[in-house]
Amino acid sequence: MIRAGRREVAKRVFSKEFNASKFKVGGEGEKEAVYVLTPLGLRCNRLFIVGVLLEKEEVKPDSDMWRVRISDPTGSFLGFISKFQPEALESLADINPPAIVAVTAKAKLLERGDRILPLIRPESINLISEFEFETRDYWIVETAKATLRRIRAIERGEEKLAVEKYNPDISEYRAMVIEVLNKLKEEYSAIEKKEEPFEEEEKDLGFELDEEIIDLSDFDIGD
Amino acid sequence: MDESRFQEIVEEIFERFKAYGVTKKEIENRLRLLLFEFKVPEEEARRTIINGLRKNYNISRADLKPPLTKISEIEPNKWVTLKAKVIQIWEPNSPAIAQSGLIGDETGTARFVVWAKANKRKLEEGKCYLFEKVVVDEFMGIKSVKVTSASDVREIDEEIEVKEEGGEVEVIGALVSIQQNSGLLQVCKLCGRVVKAGVCVEHGKVETNEILRVKGILDDGERTYDLILGEEVVKSLTEIGLKEARRLAEEHLDRGIVLIELKRKLLGKYLRIIGELRFRTLTARSAEFFRPKIIQEVQKVLEEAGA
Repeated sequence: MIRAGRREVAKRVFSKEFNASKFKVGGEGEKEAVYVLTPLGLRCNRLFIVGVLLEKEEVKPDSDMWRVRISDPTGSFLGFISKFQPEALESLADINPPAIVAVTAKAKLLERGDRILPLIRPESINLISEFEFETRDYWIVETAKATLRRIRAIERGEEKLAVEKYNPDISEYRAMVIEVLNKLKEEYSAIEKKEEPFEEEEKDLGFELDEEIIDLSDFDIGD
Repeated sequence: MDESRFQEIVEEIFERFKAYGVTKKEIENRLRLLLFEFKVPEEEARRTIINGLRKNYNISRADLKPPLTKISEIEPNKWVTLKAKVIQIWEPNSPAIAQSGLIGDETGTARFVVWAKANKRKLEEGKCYLFEKVVVDEFMGIKSVKVTSASDVREIDEEIEVKEEGGEVEVIGALVSIQQNSGLLQVCKLCGRVVKAGVCVEHGKVETNEILRVKGILDDGERTYDLILGEEVVKSLTEIGLKEARRLAEEHLDRGIVLIELKRKLLGKYLRIIGELRFRTLTARSAEFFRPKIIQEVQKVLEEAGA
């Protein structure tokens, strides 16, 4: 009835926040998972991302180890897919950049000497068609919401560890969220404007205007 | 202190003493006096009033044990005491929350939240506890029990049979994973297990039924659900029903193609599911691709951001 292992929730985070991560938490004891701690205090082990696959490149020829870059409105996630992620590897073969993809991935911090590199290991990757643009836009909205929640938690003084480790600039992250949302809003406003006059035209003219039959000089059109 | 919190305390005390003829007015007057004129801390005021009433009405401490409430009877904004089993513990989504999850008794289940500020010992899945002085609230039709610093929680040496209840819920989330035992499958006629090469692990060589289903993980960024989509629901989403799935499999001489097609159409998509939630498992009655009005959502979040 009750499953022993709990599945890690796939967190929503913008690449800009994720890429600024430098610390891990957890991993104590055999069973505890390792989490990447972001500057706003998100503890993530798994991520869900909808973004644009910009690059896909085999690290070495015939190595079946692929480097991918997936962008969101704030930057991009760097990812590696190898034979240890068979499902993602199989799907990746059929996807060519640029393309909108939905990705479930493990969040990792790669440490090389004193360099720390946040990256993702996709478990699954799937193509989102151009007719499903809401999927990406909804991810942006959802991620904006989650980011704001973290900002508020810091403001309320509930996130001591992240503040101690990163001392994040809250106003910068809030400005990032607002910018992303405003951009999205502009896009949708532009779409609406484009659609409106088209509809009106259809409504007004339910027939074809034939200038030869209707003598336009009969109408007082004015200047 | 705001008025609602004040009323909460009055309600809590009134619940415990109403059987003895105590009036709300009486409690309110005393509480007002202690809190606002004498500036006594909340918890001290509460205790003083309870002790005072106990003396006045000659009620022994043992008699005053708060009555136990069953989960099916809890109501929002009430302080209750209940015995329940911890069924599940979820990953907390806020540092203000020490633990959250699901508790149950023989009458039903409810969510619970232990505030970090409450400073309580960690609860464990599968164990039974007495939750004293916990407050109930309701969010989107789902009741939850909050453990605050005023609450007492202790483990009890009793086994509580939890009623497995099915409640219809609506969940919006991303389908982040589709399991291998999805697609067009042969299952044992006797037990419903997936059969490989005509052999059931339980019943050996058996007759089989052919089914179409998707088992996956729905994830809303805060918790995960084990999602089950039956044939009808799969068909409504993907236009692939049992008939179409068989045709695909025959065409490609491979059942696996069905799973590949279903993944292509469903994986990483946001779904709105209406279904039966039993612990972690969400069995869909209906499902649709979630296509919200983005501009409205954006406006809402912008307002939240104070832009």
